[in-house]
Amino acid sequence: MKWGMAVDLDRCDGCAACVTACHAENNISTVGADQASRGRAKHWIRVERYWEGEFPDVRLKFRPVMCQHCENAPCEPVCPTYASHHTADGLNAQVYNRCIGTRYCANACPYNVRFFDFFNPSWDKPLHLQLNPDVSLREVGVMEKCTFCVQRIKATTIQAKAEDRPVADGEIKPACAQACPAQALVFGDLDDPESAVSRLSRSSRGSKLLEDRGTKPAVTYLSRQS
Amino acid sequence: MSAVPSPSHGQINTDLLRPLLKTSWKFFAVVVVLGGIVVAALLAWLSQMFFGFGISGIRWPVYWGFYVTSFVFWIGISHAGTLISAILRLVDAGWRRPVTRCAEVITVFALMIGAMFPIIHLGRPWLAFWLFPYPSERLIWPNFRSPLVWDFFAINTYLTGSVLFLFLPMIPDFAVVRDKSTGLRRRIYTLLAVGWRGTPKQWHRLESAMAIMAIAIVPVAVSVHTIVSFDFSMAPVPMWQSTIFGPYFVAGAIFSGIAGLLIAMAILRRVLHLERYLHPIHFENLGKLLLVMALLWGYFVFNERLVTYYGNEPSEMAVFWRTQRESFAPLYWTMVFGNFVLPLVIMGIKRFRTITGCVIASLGVIVGMWLERFLIIVPSLGHKYLPYSYGIYRPQPVEIIIAGATFAAMALLYVLFVKIVPIISIWELKAGDHQPPDGSHPVAEKRSLREVEG
Amino acid sequence: MKAVYALYPDGHSAQQAVVRLHAAGVNDRDITIQSAQPIEDFEFGHRDKATWMWWIACGGALIGMASALGLAWLTEMSWPIDVGGLPIFAWWPNLIITFELTMLGAIVATVVTLVLTARLGRGSDIYDAEVSDGKILVGVVNPSESAVAGLEAALTAPPGAQLKKI
Repeated sequence: MKWGMAVDLDRCDGCAACVTACHAENNISTVGADQASRGRAKHWIRVERYWEGEFPDVRLKFRPVMCQHCENAPCEPVCPTYASHHTADGLNAQVYNRCIGTRYCANACPYNVRFFDFFNPSWDKPLHLQLNPDVSLREVGVMEKCTFCVQRIKATTIQAKAEDRPVADGEIKPACAQACPAQALVFGDLDDPESAVSRLSRSSRGSKLLEDRGTKPAVTYLSRQS
Repeated sequence: MSAVPSPSHGQINTDLLRPLLKTSWKFFAVVVVLGGIVVAALLAWLSQMFFGFGISGIRWPVYWGFYVTSFVFWIGISHAGTLISAILRLVDAGWRRPVTRCAEVITVFALMIGAMFPIIHLGRPWLAFWLFPYPSERLIWPNFRSPLVWDFFAINTYLTGSVLFLFLPMIPDFAVVRDKSTGLRRRIYTLLAVGWRGTPKQWHRLESAMAIMAIAIVPVAVSVHTIVSFDFSMAPVPMWQSTIFGPYFVAGAIFSGIAGLLIAMAILRRVLHLERYLHPIHFENLGKLLLVMALLWGYFVFNERLVTYYGNEPSEMAVFWRTQRESFAPLYWTMVFGNFVLPLVIMGIKRFRTITGCVIASLGVIVGMWLERFLIIVPSLGHKYLPYSYGIYRPQPVEIIIAGATFAAMALLYVLFVKIVPIISIWELKAGDHQPPDGSHPVAEKRSLREVEG
Repeated sequence: MKAVYALYPDGHSAQQAVVRLHAAGVNDRDITIQSAQPIEDFEFGHRDKATWMWWIACGGALIGMASALGLAWLTEMSWPIDVGGLPIFAWWPNLIITFELTMLGAIVATVVTLVLTARLGRGSDIYDAEVSDGKILVGVVNPSESAVAGLEAALTAPPGAQLKKI
């Protein structure tokens, strides 16, 4: 079992529904405009937007970037308390309870997908009723990042085991993949050669982000053709 | 060479014990002022823990700033003592005698201050003890593959070694103070002197211990700052993943350490009237060492930057130009001036190699080395690989207060130390008169009874 | 009588005193010498030089090395955690911890040996505060009654001697 994702940049239109869904699913607090301008926003998945060219030949490119769950993750060996480590099913796990907040992992991450909790989170009422009980709240001083919605992975795998059947392809959908209206994000088991994500990873349009860094990410980006 | 005559034994005792036995109002005034600054920094740190780390300037993606800069800077300053004390002791350079304790004290206090920062910069500092390997109920141990855990072991080993290296030669001096004082002071120093009597056996054991410590502490010192450099070189950040970081940081540490020592010595000489003991030749010798280290620093910087420039890798070159030409250029060129141009000019020309000249050059080096640490950390972190995630770091008051107060803390600790312990090692100074005649094999004077009776 | 000793102003006199004490039949072991500096330019300052300290420091280093390797091996193997694809017991990083604890072992062993062999911290037999002023003390502790006169003669003969009895 090796979880991975494929992102089809041809389908992505930069609507950022994935960002909103991720915030909702994972109890990520918003920080307000002032703090966001100071770089404290915690978008576990973000839509990077690049402008290319000069007016009137301007092109806009979108790229959703989340934790790449690298096989050779540079964030893992540097954590002094094993808060960042690799699980047997290919996820880069962040254990909030072990984190003492040295922020070395965030510096080591070439994709800048790790976020620090600068303040204790707070939600204005009645938004606190919307919190997901399956995801722990993070206190000030710990690092957090995309987990491929590990709570959904765990729930489905446990259910499948109880029902004594394998997990079907497409049964687990992280919040971002579920919310994407263009179905640009595909999640699944890379160890299964017939799964959708495996087939998309083998596509000729496919490449990895910052592949030359040697991190071996589990996310494949299918380049935009138009 | 100095025209000042060598002071007598009694005079040495009087001069070097005077700060311990006599206190003026100026001492208390200095302690209050410095103490006030340190308390302000403590309050700043407590407010950071209370209000949240967000009151600092740390942000995505520049997650290290003033605190880690100060950490590396102070650990660097701590290399003064080891070089002067241990290495000069090993090569038997006599001119080290008045200078060793000043240097060793800088090492211990700079290490203590530097070692505070890995705790100050943590998101959850109350859990810092998890870095210590103990059998926890969570059944988990520290990650020995992490550079931060290497830091923990290295700094603790170096701190232990330095404290002992400082304390051992103080024992005979504590005995002198014990003999000269009365009352409560006498009882305290009796305790500190741990029963020292001055028998040849004790002297020999002390000297053996010092020799072993000197040999052991030099590799530890080299390893400490190398391991601190690994905090950077182990991460794939542009212009961090350089194999030169180890030697580069060690050379920079020794460089800043000598500068710190020169400033401390100059202040002590003036304030405690130690003109008879700290001669211009001592400053000149250290000044020459400063010149050599400046050249070495320039050599390492040239190596690092030439290789980067030649490699022309896009993300590295972006950071390269950021420091040299773009937003960080003013800081960068100030650093080059303070670390290279100023020491070379002042220390290179004999006429300028006076005590004042040494102090000016050293101040330039202190500023330059602090900037060097800052310029290694911040430009690289703010400009990694994905342009969407570039960021600009702006230090906030809490960081400025804490980083600035470390200088006050160092001064305060030094002032308090000078009040309690003779800052020049009395017995080592006098022992310079009792060296074996040719230095290698003691041709000891030994007479038979018949010779003695004539 | 607890001790009979004399204070001398310099190494010459002290050396003469030691020679005379030898002539009076006193063993090296029974002669107490105290000074405020190590007196390397006279023979009496060279006693008790041989020491096991260097070997003990090496022993301490070995213990430190074994502790570090043991700590790393046992803890990393008891709960193998994959970090960045590195081996569970990786030699290169573990050598750093090993080096540090080796040096710490040597340092601590040295200091402990110093404290024990120099008998620091124990109460002193005799001591005279004038030693801090640069005088050298040479004497005999617990002399037999009959020998006292001979010792006094030997100790007062060199120039500048100040005899004391306690």
